[in-house]
Amino acid sequence: MTPVLELNNLVKTFGASRALDGLSLSLPDNSYISLLGPSGSGKTTLLRVIAGFERCEAGSIRFGGRSMQDVAPHRRGIGFVFQNFALFPHLSVRDNVAFGLTNRELAPVTNAGEIADRVQAMIALVGLTGLEDRAVTQISGGQKQRVALARTLVTEPKMVLLDEPLGALDANLRARMRNELREIRERCGVAFLHVTGSETEALAMGDVVLVLDRGRIAQTGNSDSIYNRPASSDVARFLNCYNLFSGRIDGESFVAPAGRLPLGGLRQTAATPAYAIRHDRIAIRPTGTGLGGDEAAIEAQFLAEEYTGSAVYSFFTTEDGTLLEVETHLSKDARPVLEPQGRYALVWNKEHALVYA
Amino acid sequence: MHNPVLTEDVTVTEPVAKPSRMAFWLVLPGVVWMLLFLVLPILMMVYVSFWTQTTFTIKPVLTLQSWITFFSSDTYLGALWTTVRIWLLVLVATVVVGYPAALFVGLFVKNKTLQTVLLVLCVIPFWTSFLIRVLAWRPMLGKEGAINMILMKLGIVTHPIEVLLFSELSVIIGMTQIYCVFMVGPIAFMLGRIEPAIIEAAQDLGAGFWRIFRTIILPMSMPGVVVGAIFVSVMVLGEFATSAALSGRKVNLLGNIIVTQVGSLKWAFAAVAGVVLTLLMGLVVAALLRVVDLRKEL
Repeated sequence: MTPVLELNNLVKTFGASRALDGLSLSLPDNSYISLLGPSGSGKTTLLRVIAGFERCEAGSIRFGGRSMQDVAPHRRGIGFVFQNFALFPHLSVRDNVAFGLTNRELAPVTNAGEIADRVQAMIALVGLTGLEDRAVTQISGGQKQRVALARTLVTEPKMVLLDEPLGALDANLRARMRNELREIRERCGVAFLHVTGSETEALAMGDVVLVLDRGRIAQTGNSDSIYNRPASSDVARFLNCYNLFSGRIDGESFVAPAGRLPLGGLRQTAATPAYAIRHDRIAIRPTGTGLGGDEAAIEAQFLAEEYTGSAVYSFFTTEDGTLLEVETHLSKDARPVLEPQGRYALVWNKEHALVYA
Repeated sequence: MHNPVLTEDVTVTEPVAKPSRMAFWLVLPGVVWMLLFLVLPILMMVYVSFWTQTTFTIKPVLTLQSWITFFSSDTYLGALWTTVRIWLLVLVATVVVGYPAALFVGLFVKNKTLQTVLLVLCVIPFWTSFLIRVLAWRPMLGKEGAINMILMKLGIVTHPIEVLLFSELSVIIGMTQIYCVFMVGPIAFMLGRIEPAIIEAAQDLGAGFWRIFRTIILPMSMPGVVVGAIFVSVMVLGEFATSAALSGRKVNLLGNIIVTQVGSLKWAFAAVAGVVLTLLMGLVVAALLRVVDLRKEL
């Protein structure tokens, strides 16, 4: 696939902090790209630099084969959907959607009939037919989200940047809008760059998932490879589904403050050594039972549990104070009965571990 | 018979009763004050305007004589016309001077602290008395004043420009300077409330600055312009001191007429001028409020 957007070595600083620190990436056309970043990782800055609202100090931005360095935001042809929608409060739904067509500097549409047709078609595409004359202050959050999207899509940008587009919606609506966003994108055939701090959202939505860490892209890949093979312990931490131990390699084991863990599984090189095991790979057993040859175990004290219906999350603490989380899926395992403050062996297959050294 | 709906109604209305008693006590002082010192005097003024005025006395005998005198006298009608003309000119001047200033403070100054500092700077002239602010214009605008001296030193004019002081122009200059801040404040406030993301969104959709100004910034700041216009209008229409001090008594506003009539104990004439002025202000405010639905915007 041809890249629609290529960023090379972007640097943007705010005082002493480097929001973008030599960031490079290349995004394929006609795909849904999600960008996962914890708060403060520079994700909003990245979008604002791409859209042209902020200037970067170094690096190049090429969009559709053209350098965007000295192009004003209103001439870039990149759509931006704001986190809080930023709808024009004094205009109706219809006028909000029509804004770009009538008011853009490059090739504005002057034919009233054409504007009406295109606006109507776009309002239908996002499912807002019937609300055209409503004030945007009188519609719900999900509807505002759709207006914001329609307003951008009607101008036919080659790429749309979405800044935490589902952040302002409640949980039910968020799940529904995920599907809709993907469907709308497929119908328009443009690239969506969706920025989010939620790992589930990033994994669920992206054809390609990028992980942003301290102003750089830490990993690029599909959801499966990101989830199962995070490239660094930081990526593993953002995914929020790994227990992480820091320590050092000593022969055939990993020495963590919590104990010695046998090596195995995927080994990747990293500056700071770490050992990661996914929450749902761990079994809870009474202490003193024997271990299989390929099993690793750590003894820990039970703290609390959280029941979600399909799974139970149990929280343990080791001797040295490390907090561990275990996810037990109730469809395949029985719900563990755990004594408050009781001591248990947390056991996993060492081949399931990820080792960074 | 037991009615569940009724008992439910009772339990619902009870908690509401307390806030309303509270509201009564909160509103009471204001209402009493307004009735005693605003509504009552206005009614009194209307009543007095129909009293019989002789040279030295006034009697509570109802007559239309003062009204007839007012509307058949060139002096009074001329003052009414001057008032309207000066008001319109000052209103336009405060918008022309104030809007760009407010645009700068409210939109281009991103730092909130600096914004506040700049708005406070606008208010600093109000730390001196009204009279000094007005009289300070004399050494500025006079025949041998600062402006004429500088213009002559620079060789731009050979004779001092006399129209600068003791003319309608000097009244307009003075009033614009004094009342401009009442235009800047509300406009800057409305502009400051426009989320930066809204302007960025318009930019992202392809609109250039002037287009964004016309379609987004101007309509969203209109409530500020209307509030500012109401402030300025009410103050300029009731003015008498600036016109007296800067026009050398050549410009007579309705306010000046009232001062003169009260000074010569012609209470009925003063009351007529007062009623006319009050009606004029009411009309202006009502007309301005029709421009923008403030309840919807604020």
